[in-house]
Amino acid sequence: MARFMLNRALKAVLTVWIAITATFFLLRLLPGDPTTLMVEGDMTPEMRAALLETYGLDRPLLEQYVSYLRELLHGNFGISFRQIQPVTDILLDRLPWTLLLAGVAFLLTIAVGIPIGVSAAAHRGRWPDKLLQGFGIAGHALFVPSVAMLLLVWLGARLGWFPIGGAIDPDTRGLAAYLSLAHHLVLPVASLVLVQLGPYALTLRTNLIDVLGEDYIRAARARGLSGRRRLWKHGLRNAILPALTLMGLQLGTLVGGAVLTETVFAYPGVGRLIFEAVGQRDYPVLQGAFIMLAITVVVANALTDLLYAVLNPRIRL
Amino acid sequence: MSRTFSGRTRRWRVAVALGAAVALGLSGCGLNEDNSSSGENSGGGDVLRIGTTTDVSNFNPLQSLSKTDSWILNAMYPHLLRIDENAKKAPELAKEYTYENGGKTAVFHLRDDFTWTDGKPVVAEDVKFSAESIMKYKLGNVAAKLTWVTSIEAPDATTVKFHLSQPYAPFAEGVGFWMSIVPKHVFEGAGDLSKFANDSDWVGAGPFVLESATKGQRYVMKRNDRYPLAPGGKPAVGKVEFRLYPDVNTMMLALRNGDIDLMGTPVPASAAKTFANDSKIKLAKVGALGFAHLTYNMNNKDLAKQEVRQALSMAVDTKSIISSVLQGDAQEMSGPISPIFADYDNTEIQPYPFDPAGAKAKLAAAGYSDRDGDGLFDGLDLGVACDQSNANITRVVQLFRESAAKAGIKLTNECVERNTFLSRTKDGEYDIDASQWGVFDNPMDQLRSTYLSSNPGGINYNLLKSPEMDQLINDAAATTDPAAFATKIKNIDKVVHEQAYLTPLYVENFQFAYNASKFTGFVASPSDLLGMVTAYSLAQVKPVG
Repeated sequence: MARFMLNRALKAVLTVWIAITATFFLLRLLPGDPTTLMVEGDMTPEMRAALLETYGLDRPLLEQYVSYLRELLHGNFGISFRQIQPVTDILLDRLPWTLLLAGVAFLLTIAVGIPIGVSAAAHRGRWPDKLLQGFGIAGHALFVPSVAMLLLVWLGARLGWFPIGGAIDPDTRGLAAYLSLAHHLVLPVASLVLVQLGPYALTLRTNLIDVLGEDYIRAARARGLSGRRRLWKHGLRNAILPALTLMGLQLGTLVGGAVLTETVFAYPGVGRLIFEAVGQRDYPVLQGAFIMLAITVVVANALTDLLYAVLNPRIRL
Repeated sequence: MSRTFSGRTRRWRVAVALGAAVALGLSGCGLNEDNSSSGENSGGGDVLRIGTTTDVSNFNPLQSLSKTDSWILNAMYPHLLRIDENAKKAPELAKEYTYENGGKTAVFHLRDDFTWTDGKPVVAEDVKFSAESIMKYKLGNVAAKLTWVTSIEAPDATTVKFHLSQPYAPFAEGVGFWMSIVPKHVFEGAGDLSKFANDSDWVGAGPFVLESATKGQRYVMKRNDRYPLAPGGKPAVGKVEFRLYPDVNTMMLALRNGDIDLMGTPVPASAAKTFANDSKIKLAKVGALGFAHLTYNMNNKDLAKQEVRQALSMAVDTKSIISSVLQGDAQEMSGPISPIFADYDNTEIQPYPFDPAGAKAKLAAAGYSDRDGDGLFDGLDLGVACDQSNANITRVVQLFRESAAKAGIKLTNECVERNTFLSRTKDGEYDIDASQWGVFDNPMDQLRSTYLSSNPGGINYNLLKSPEMDQLINDAAATTDPAAFATKIKNIDKVVHEQAYLTPLYVENFQFAYNASKFTGFVASPSDLLGMVTAYSLAQVKPVG
């Protein structure tokens, strides 16, 4: 098990390094630099040169890269070009909001997805199953911002049931603040869950149907175990293993979806920070945010693998 | 067995609850902590809530370049001059300005009743320090406007003299309007001002000063009780709160729902009618300093020919563009100066008529032919570049392509992502540039930026190198007599029009939406950069009733 964990950790470090390198060079391959947006003003070449020097962008690319890696090893993500503040501070300010949004959506997808998937498998071919299949296909076709905008217009603006922007009513304190927080979360979380839920439940249903056809389930039936116990105890326990992998992958999708959702709902997380930083070509902020997201996804996948290994000792072999 | 099952269920429930609690706690632990003093009065009409689109990049007004930053920072840091509804400069911190020494010295005479919020008076040394810091650290776009300054003098508390290397007619207007004045006694201790974020303990002298900033959410400003340009000596509104809505559609919903009282950004022409049935919402309409245009790259062998540029100008149906793209909510224009600058707009110039047949004849006379009979002149294939995020301009390019085809000119749509577009324009990688100027506060700056070959920076999208234009522009720039200056500008208008260096498309009317049942008294400025969110405007606003 220790060897397995070490192997996974090394792979995770390698993945993060590739993400760091790719982000660094891809951003600089994009047309324009942080001074591009100032082109519409009276910016002289001297001013542009001064800005590039201030940003350190006048140095050779490789030198910038080595310097960036060196700073990263010291835990320094750099200083935002536009905000003139440490990127770490900026990210830590936004990260809790994204974790909250993606975390709640993730948990809710699992909590609701499991009973739906199990129910569809148990009623294979009947209406709950058909309903889920339609929902699952729709989930693949749905685009997060479209769902978000639809919810925002109907439930937020037209019916007035939920706030249409922000993360909390700024004038609340104590319990009221937490209630306000939850109230503001409903629509962004719903837009993420609606898109994720169908495919997740559908995968679970398919796995469960396969498992229910296995010999040991038939043997359990022969031993007189009830349908409910065969389904929930023996069936789900085995069917959920492949679904775990999907859950790990889904976390990455959720984080990506949160970028779009946060923009639609004016939610103050890392996603919206990225949206703004792209427009400003604020490389340090973008690099920091992408590294953080990469680490989140890598760690989630590593934990998923670990959990899988714990639950299924065969894959450690 | 059933007990085990129940135990697991319970553990799952506990785990889920714990996860949710941790997630909530992560965000919740810091909830509204920094706003403990800002919630007062927020429920009443004493707080004006304004929708903005992005976070403040940084709070150093000498450094910041963002439009939305300026909404907040302009309310804190005074300027020498402001712009009025008719695009004329009006007094703000400076009562007036004069020129001495044949135009080589610009003198600002300051009011003596502006006070920083820490009690110290705003004095000439603050102005001198602000300008010298910009020059020293090459900060923001104001640095280019100070290019002519050789030295600055503050002989007394209310007089500032800028000594120039040569006369430049709109110097005082440009610097007076654009330059923020910062408190010397606060900023001088910050060291390198290009690295100073100024993100706490704000000291301002505008009608409002920042009280708290919650990135990604809101910025709360409190009233400056000693602001001389507000009726009664202090703003009627107690607080101004900026709330973030990155999407303009969401911001419109927020206004309708009563979450905000004013949209900082203009309402798109296509969406303005959605407020028609809402009795609370009013739209204030203002003209614009900037305008949409097509500019021709003179390095292109075809576009270097005057006949081709004129033919292209005749192939644009501006009337149709205004009626279909802007629902009629724009003005047609003929020369390169926005009609809002009434003193400088040459009204004798007439727009090129929409005449595809005439354009075709002009091109045939210039030697172009259609040998393959496809209706398009052979070899005349031009790309039109634009910023695809500007929905109006993208639509204009589409209509231009269709109308140009009737004149036998093949155009290719090259609208791309904004940064790519700006990068390409900066590098001259385009044939025709379709875009919209932001803000030029005076025609001279615009003409220098767009046509002067020796202008080291600027936005000379024509990539023009014309000794004749250089001569005309430099001559006008050194003319400090207002009447002679206006005559020279009008002559440049005429030359640009005859040469068809650009085809002006329209001057958009901007509409700003606000909740008239709660607030009144806004003073609109003719620009989407400022709109109704200026220091002067915010100082005049009062709650209804």
